[in-house]
Formats: sequence, structure tokens, C-alpha cells
Amino acid sequence: MSSSTLNVARRVILQVVRDRRTIALIIVAPLVIATVAGFSIPDKMMLDNAAPAILATLIIFFGFLITGISFLRERTQGTLERMLVSPISRMDIVAGYLLGLLLFALLQTLIMFFYMVYVLSINYQGDLWQILVFQMLIGIVAVCMGTFFSAFARNEFQMIQFIPLIIVPQIFLSGLFIQTSQLPYVLEWISKFLPLTYGVEGIKALMQQGQSLLDIGKDIGILAAFAAGFLVLASLTLRQKS
Amino acid sequence: MTDAAIAVNNLAFKYGALKVIDDMTMEIESGTSYGLLGPNGAGKTTLIRLMVGLLKPAGGNVLCLGKPPTRSMAKNIGYMPQLPALYSELSVEQNIDFFGRIYGLKDSKKRWERVNEVIKVVDLWEKRKTQIVNLSGGMKQRVSLACAIVHQPSLIFLDEPTVGLDPELRVHFWDYFTDLTKAGHTLIISSHTFDDAAHCQRLAFLRLGRVVAQGTPAELRAATGNKEASLEDAFLYFIKHDEVKENVQ
Repeated sequence: MSSSTLNVARRVILQVVRDRRTIALIIVAPLVIATVAGFSIPDKMMLDNAAPAILATLIIFFGFLITGISFLRERTQGTLERMLVSPISRMDIVAGYLLGLLLFALLQTLIMFFYMVYVLSINYQGDLWQILVFQMLIGIVAVCMGTFFSAFARNEFQMIQFIPLIIVPQIFLSGLFIQTSQLPYVLEWISKFLPLTYGVEGIKALMQQGQSLLDIGKDIGILAAFAAGFLVLASLTLRQKS
Repeated sequence: MTDAAIAVNNLAFKYGALKVIDDMTMEIESGTSYGLLGPNGAGKTTLIRLMVGLLKPAGGNVLCLGKPPTRSMAKNIGYMPQLPALYSELSVEQNIDFFGRIYGLKDSKKRWERVNEVIKVVDLWEKRKTQIVNLSGGMKQRVSLACAIVHQPSLIFLDEPTVGLDPELRVHFWDYFTDLTKAGHTLIISSHTFDDAAHCQRLAFLRLGRVVAQGTPAELRAATGNKEASLEDAFLYFIKHDEVKENVQ
């Protein structure tokens, strides 16, 4: 990892840490949503079944939101332009962002996971560390996705509109409510191209069936490919304009 | 290849069908302060963005220190955009330190010495721990200038650097710009005010993406044939000539 990547990551972390209200919201928002989700499903077995998919969905949702808005601000306030004139590479900029914001995406993931386990008392199988590693991968995909899609928004209002466009369809098609195999053929086919589908599939296998990371290699591979793809596409959006 | 700090050769740039820079050619000598003067929409900012490599020319080329403006020579370039372009949550010194880091000032002690030095240059020592969000517009401009010069670049691009500054601060900025050129730095400054233009060693008057006249302020005033002519008169003289030429064509 280059020192330029670390410099960008360090600055991103410093920026969030110095904004106390944002830090408070980063901590409170997942707690509120996990509470609402938990208490809206009074049936314990039903909650145990739904919790992994809810967790994967919230990781994608929060990761996408925080990164999308942060990177958009970088574009609109002119600081991105300033960095593009400097000696650091486009990939360093995107990777630095990924690294910095991943820390907060992970913080949110851990808050939600441990809140669900210890406060809502959901049952899970499988190794804790393997579950957390997989959640981290989902977080990486979310951060890469947010960075890429921020290139298509001109302001925060437009970025927020990407949630119903990019995130909500994935919620319906990922297997959160209905198994993807029970979806109409066309929708099932579309679901194969959505990262959340593999996030939900993988986390269910880990938490409900007690499988290991080795058993869900396909989901890990596809999610890693999504992350790499979004990362490369995000850096391409920073190219010289003609 | 050329010895000039900047060589612009038949440069062209379009936004859609609109020609923003139209077959522009100019050379800027090292160690001078060169003003780009023109009304809004004349192409000043686009020209600077082409010079620093943010935009790709539709035709012609730009050479900075004899090379195209790529990442390999970015350390030699300082860029102060029109917007303050700062991280509002970070303090004055954190912003400047960040730009020092990404411009390759790796030695922590030396970098902080330089950060403190530029903070003093822009007269913000008392405010060095203050978050940008709590500064006035003029103070933000000063931090923005500090971020552009922290790595001591030989070529410094300043896009409307004195906009929003009070007269005292404007004088302070120009004193510093003069010191920089005396020390051998090349400054390219865009402006639409004649106060700023009078401070530049050389000027280019821009209109509709073209250079309508180039020279020292004295040469441009003398070209009007009126000994009493101000820079404003000279500008209007060349603009009018250009309009007539355009109508004839």
C-alpha cells in the first residue's frame, strides 16, 4: 500500500472524527434501525432467520450512503480537482477513500452485529471471526459502489436518489424477503448481477447453516470481483476531461 | 521542446459545440508574473485547467517546463482554484499538512516547519488550529494559497486569487506574489480586475477564448497611441479592435 493511499485515508478519517455530529449519527443510526427491525419481528425464530439478511442489507446501505456523500463532497467542493493536479494517482485517491471510510463502515457493522446478538438475542452458528470477515467484504463492496456512483450525481439531493435506484431494488431481489429461486424468471436472472444477492446468500450460509468461508468461496469471489470492478470504474471516473 | 515556463501552441478546447479556447498560442517566461485578464466567460479558468492538466485539449498542446502537464511533473506545479477547495472539518494546519503530504513532503519535521512557515506567510498563525468552517471568506482564500505553495513549486497557477479579499489583504497578497517572482517562481494569475493586472509583469487580454493582446502593462497602454491611457482603456481598445476584426471576417 502506497504512502499516498495512507495519506488520503488518514485525512478521510480525521475529517469524520472532527465532525462530532457525523460520528454520533454513524453510531446511532444503525442502532435505531437494528432496534426497529428487531422489535418489528416479535417471533424469535423468524427474527433469527431474517437477521443475517437484514445485517447484509444494512451494511450495503450505510456503506453506500456514507461513501457516496463523502466522495460527492470531494468532487463538488473542488478538493478532488486539487488532488488530481498533485502527484498522487487516481487509484491512490480511490483506495485511500476506501480505506478511510471502510473503518466507519466496519464500526457500523460491528455495532449492528453485536447489538443484534447481545440485545436482540439472535442465535447464530458458525465462527464469529468468519462472519465478521465476510461482513467486512460486504462493507468493502458498499464503499466501492458508493465511490463509483457518486460520479453520476452533481449534488447531495441527486446522490440520495441513488438509494431508491441502486439499493432498494437489491433489497427486493437479494433474497431478503423471498428466496431468489422463487422470484419470477427475469427478476431471478437480474438478481444474479446484484452484489447484495451474494452478500445475503453468503451471510445466511455462515450464520444459519454454520458454514465456513471456504464453503462460500463462490460468494466471496463474486463480491471481491464486484469490489474490484467498482474500484477500477471509480478511478476511471477521475480521468482527465476532454 | 522550449525553455519557456509555459508554452501554449494552437490550443483549442470545446464544451460541446461551444469553443471555449480557440487556437491560442502564448509563451510565458520563467520567473515572471503573468496575468490572464478578461471578462467572465473569456476562457481564463478553462485555460488554467488545461495548463495544469485537468482538461484534455481538443487541439494543440500545453508544455509546462518543456513537458506536457502530467503526474510526473506535478510536484513543480502549485494550483489555487477559484473555489477555496478546502476540507471544512479540518483545521488550517491540517489542510496545509495534507497537501504537503500528497506533494511528497515526507520528512515530518521538515514538513511541519514548512507548514508553519506558510501559515505565517498568509498571516494565520493565531488561527492555525481553527476549523475551516469557522473562518471568513478571506481567511479561506489565504489557506487555499498556503495549500498551493506549501511544496515550493516553481510554477504557481492562481485562479482569481484576490476575489473577496479586502484591500489590505489584496496588497499583502501582491507583495507576497512579487517576492515569489523575485525568488524565481513563475506565477500565472487569472483576474478580471485592473488592480490585479497592474501588478503583473506581463499580461494577456482574453476575449472569447482568444488572446487579443499580449505584453507588459506599459506596452499594452502605449499600443493605444494615447499616453494617458490606463490599462482599462488599453483593454477596451483591444477588445474593440477584436470585435471589428470579427465583424469584417
